[in-house]
Amino acid sequence: MNPRKIVTIVEETHTEGGRPVETVARVAVVAAVIPNPWDGQGFVEDLTAGIDAVASDVGALLAPRVIEALGEPVEAYGKAAIVGLNGEVEHGSALIHTLKFGDHFRKAAEATTLLPAVEKRGPAGVVFDIPLKHKTDATVRSHHQTIEVRLADAPHPGEIVIALAAAAQGRPQQRLAPLSTEQ
Amino acid sequence: MTPRTGLPEVRKVVYLQEEVLLEAGAAPAVPATRASVAVVIRNPWHGTGPDQDLSAEAERVAPQLARIVSARLIEGLGGVDAIEAFGKAAIVGTAGEIEHGSALIHTPYFGNLVREFLEGTSILCFADERADAGQSLTVPLWHKTAAATRSHYQTMTTRVSDGPAPDEIVVVAAASTGPRPHPRIGDRTTDPAVTSAILEGAEA
Repeated sequence: MNPRKIVTIVEETHTEGGRPVETVARVAVVAAVIPNPWDGQGFVEDLTAGIDAVASDVGALLAPRVIEALGEPVEAYGKAAIVGLNGEVEHGSALIHTLKFGDHFRKAAEATTLLPAVEKRGPAGVVFDIPLKHKTDATVRSHHQTIEVRLADAPHPGEIVIALAAAAQGRPQQRLAPLSTEQ
Repeated sequence: MTPRTGLPEVRKVVYLQEEVLLEAGAAPAVPATRASVAVVIRNPWHGTGPDQDLSAEAERVAPQLARIVSARLIEGLGGVDAIEAFGKAAIVGTAGEIEHGSALIHTPYFGNLVREFLEGTSILCFADERADAGQSLTVPLWHKTAAATRSHYQTMTTRVSDGPAPDEIVVVAAASTGPRPHPRIGDRTTDPAVTSAILEGAEA
């Protein structure tokens, strides 16, 4: 897998809408910048070998780190794959849309839902938003949220940024009626 | 539970850390972790003019900011002894003056305290600018006790996605646990004599 760098971001929101939040809201992201396993190989029809070589290892690297960075029980989570300009979005999807990748985080966070994801291709420094949803019930409206991320010099054209995000709560000042009240 | 900062003006605190495992395909001989802490606060002088005396609010706010950023850097980078290089920065929202950011980072109420907490002796190098939310800022760092140590000249790029709002200021401190990944440009002790005359062929 050979990551070039690992970036950790912890964002705390203390006030929102001009008022202090009830408890300080915490969201963490950990991203690994890795070589695209299919870089320079032209169109690879069967991505299985690259997935087997990389996906589980990246998941195992990122999951404990993002949980540690959050420092509080995980309530919502999400993931990202940002492919450098020489790759296909399919390469990023291949690495994160497999149980071998996601199960490391899902098990460690005692989660059950699918991880919401962003996949895109872009230059180094591209800005991306990681969507997060509640870890056991993706319909919990208070926990729908996003965190914006930018790595200053990644991904290079032959790299992929793989990231996990975790939140300790829903949105700061969340106050929407739950989905059930509309049914 | 994440503690409050004791400063009601604080909207957000963003910690960013970067570990370089490989650079140009090779692991650094001395691996370093760099981190920045950005605190988004309401500009205490929003709505005031250039005749406003900045000293009272600087004395009230800046020491608290120094405490917040220093504690996060020490916690994140594994203790004060691990920190070898440091720097500071401010991004002022578009409704403020650069002078407002300067009042928060270029007085003893911030700089002296960050230097004390991080156990440095060097002047803190810095960057400041006025910008919209989401502007990235490159924070310069140098050695905390020997500023001329060339291996430790490095930068950390930091950014807050939704700050500063026009009436806010983002105050930043950054630190590194070591040198650049592959430092190999010598130092003052190994430099040859270089002047324009020498480069034109005069004897050194």
